[in-house]
Amino acid sequence: MDTLETAAHPENLRRVVIEPVSRVEGHGKVTLLLDAEDRVHQVRLHIVEFRGFEKFIQGRPYWEVPVLVQRLCGICPVSHHLAASKALDIIVGAKQLTPTAEKMRRLMHLGQILQSHALHFFHLASPDLLFGFDADVAKRNIVGVAAVAPEVAKKGVLLRKYGQEIIRHTAGKRVHGTGSVPGGVNKNLSRAERAGLLGEIDTIVEWSREAVGIIQKLFADHAKLYESFGRFESNRLGLVRADGALDLYHGGLRATDAAGATLFDHADYQSYYELIHEEVKPWSYMKFPFIVAQGSEAGWYRVGPLARVAQCDFIPTELAEAERLAFKAFDGGAALSAPLGYHWARMIEMLHAAEGIKELLLDNDLSGGDLVVRGEPQLRGVGVIEAPRGTLIHHYRVNEDDQIVSANLIVSTTHNNQAMNEAVRQVARQHLDGRTLTEGLLNHIEVAIRAFDPCLSCATHALGKMPLELTLVDAGGETIGSLRRDGA
Amino acid sequence: MTKLKVATCSLAGCFGCHMSLLDIDEKLFELVKAVEFDRSPITDIKHCGPCDIGIVEGGVCNAENVHVLKEFRRNCRILVAMGACAITGGIPALRNNVDLWDCFQEVYHYGIGLEKGQIPNDPELPLPFDRVHPINEVVRIDYFLPGCPPPADAIWKFLTDLAAGREPKLDYDMLHYD
Amino acid sequence: MTKTFTLDGKVIPFEEGETIMEAAAAAGVYIPHLCHHPEFKPHGSCKLCTVNIGGRLGAACTNRAAEGMKVESETEALNADRRALTQMLFVEGNHICPSCEKSGNCQLQAVAYHLGMLTPHFTHFYPARDVDASHPDVLLERNRCILCELCVRASRDVDGKNVFGIGGRGIKARLIVNSASGRLADTDMSVTDRAAEVCPTGAIIRKRHGFTVPIGQRLYDHHDIAEVPVAGMERPKK
Repeated sequence: MDTLETAAHPENLRRVVIEPVSRVEGHGKVTLLLDAEDRVHQVRLHIVEFRGFEKFIQGRPYWEVPVLVQRLCGICPVSHHLAASKALDIIVGAKQLTPTAEKMRRLMHLGQILQSHALHFFHLASPDLLFGFDADVAKRNIVGVAAVAPEVAKKGVLLRKYGQEIIRHTAGKRVHGTGSVPGGVNKNLSRAERAGLLGEIDTIVEWSREAVGIIQKLFADHAKLYESFGRFESNRLGLVRADGALDLYHGGLRATDAAGATLFDHADYQSYYELIHEEVKPWSYMKFPFIVAQGSEAGWYRVGPLARVAQCDFIPTELAEAERLAFKAFDGGAALSAPLGYHWARMIEMLHAAEGIKELLLDNDLSGGDLVVRGEPQLRGVGVIEAPRGTLIHHYRVNEDDQIVSANLIVSTTHNNQAMNEAVRQVARQHLDGRTLTEGLLNHIEVAIRAFDPCLSCATHALGKMPLELTLVDAGGETIGSLRRDGA
Repeated sequence: MTKLKVATCSLAGCFGCHMSLLDIDEKLFELVKAVEFDRSPITDIKHCGPCDIGIVEGGVCNAENVHVLKEFRRNCRILVAMGACAITGGIPALRNNVDLWDCFQEVYHYGIGLEKGQIPNDPELPLPFDRVHPINEVVRIDYFLPGCPPPADAIWKFLTDLAAGREPKLDYDMLHYD
Repeated sequence: MTKTFTLDGKVIPFEEGETIMEAAAAAGVYIPHLCHHPEFKPHGSCKLCTVNIGGRLGAACTNRAAEGMKVESETEALNADRRALTQMLFVEGNHICPSCEKSGNCQLQAVAYHLGMLTPHFTHFYPARDVDASHPDVLLERNRCILCELCVRASRDVDGKNVFGIGGRGIKARLIVNSASGRLADTDMSVTDRAAEVCPTGAIIRKRHGFTVPIGQRLYDHHDIAEVPVAGMERPKK
């Protein structure tokens, strides 16, 4: 099968570009090359911005890093804040955090999962799912959802709010806080704060459960479309707890192939670079990671909610576990490889986060006073966490003067680079090939991208950015027309 | 009453300012009674039309940022720089004292576990600048809303002041640079 | 009989020989400043404390109070000048508040808040400046230095070590370290020195202590610098 990555003779094809990709976090664009019969020959998702964090944090004092690098991303800053902190725990020799520190961080992280998943599902993706992929562009947004289904929109906004409040209480503010420091945290949670947050938690759990119901019903009602849309098979990667449970804060690396067979399991992420390499392609600032043993052609994989829920042995909270079983059983496992299955898995994780938050808020360790530990300093550390969008790797080396010497960051969306490109190409084959392109058809491409909840903001930590607009260029390079989402 | 048209975009930013805008929570539904969103990451409108207020997050780091920024300036009666990056360049400006070529080398040649190291150079990728610039170095800016990100309360106060025709004024707790 | 002058119409008592700044501070009235510190000899270099003294402009930190003097400080015009000076300080260095551990406790930032500075306005220099991390306990972050010379004065006059100095002139002026190598590690600086804690910005910091105070509990998180007395600014007890 034609991979559609690189056309054999691009010079005779016309270029169509979707720029910027909208209702995703960050900036990207998609280019398509079509022949005279509208057959698709090439499809690429480009990341077009570069920021160079790996370079400019060199020389910075290490304790600044968790606060500095979270500016990679305003949507999931907590993930970067904590992944960096975990790497620096190793560097300050904190082998085991105090119970208060570990639980404060876990709570902060679950708040993040809750707010990010709610944001993605309700604010960004729900218009496509509720109105249809080619609905009127004017109402395809959260304001449109609020007009038609005010209760859905309101609950989405309040779910996100609750997650953000958990972050504010643990990190000091909602976006770019400072709660986690190398070796621990800088605050605990008072009993009064816990009681305040507990007051709403049952409603949050209930609404999260309803959210799972929304996507489950969509799958049931549109099984054929939802199961096949952009479908591709791939390996999977994510952290699991020692007993195989879903654990978003800590664990060993597990990779499985498309059929579910184990590629490696409970691998110590301190040596992630022996398992995963990255390839550079000239047309994107985002690199292409792959599992070393399978090679770059076959070794790419997907990460994030769909990979995690599909390959964990169980979810350690009751309601989410029941939903996981229903998800796996649906139509003989048909949702497990479907890009739109990401939404379903994401809502199951949101429910898990809500349940986990409740469990933690009831734990008196959160109000303990022992916040930071230190041990024998090290010169190198790796921190890995399951961010809302998938596995996030932070790797630092420091010198004897406490300065960062080198850094390697592999963010969640980068792990999904090949997978997103694959989904987009499938959608092009399924829905665009040989047809006259319309705005609604082009939105199908974005629907597939949105399923991954890509954070193109994170992904551009190396150099640049990613927005969607379409321009038609003839074989001579002359612009012959353009298609924009605003209909202009 | 006609609604104010508001466009928003993020240039070399992290979207944290947009998150803070959404942090007005349920007041969002109140806001959309007075405001209609044009181009924004939360709509599918790809280009800014004539607007009352344009809100820009992030500094300018490449040629494409300049095109978007100028489109906003052309179309927006009032243009607002939102957040530390738009106002000062922010964290991305830390690269302003590093040679861009060294930056690229570090990321695409020397990275651990890197294969087929090369610097991406496809014409689809916009030209990066050697420095990240605050947006007021490129176009005229009417208002500045500092913070990393500005608190949601500050954004709310600012927009409601403008909508009511008042000169926006931030309380002490709404003014932060971090 | 206590001698007095007026500051923005408020009667301020003073003792013979006191500067306007000293008398105002003792009365709990804030005059914006950065290079002044009550423990050290006035420097008069940052110009932020410039006040209108009966029609002429002068530094509150160096001008002595006099009976019946009419001083204006919190005026539109003076604050506009102060704001411009502060903006220049921001663009001359690399003051990246979002990732700075001094944020929330920084006097430069707090003064800017007090003056309602919304943007540094001027074109940023983004100067290339060094970080000296060689000392085991103290980090010198020159990107945040505003050349107030408080560390120079503290090290020389209190610590008796003379660790710091200012080298170069004009825009090339920079904080230097008085050792043959120019590195802080090669001086007798100690983390317990007065010079290690007097910096109003994040240019001289104790290593490995950043971000331990949660947001919300930092000095200027909820209080204008005018309401937060700087330690030592009260009138010394006789």
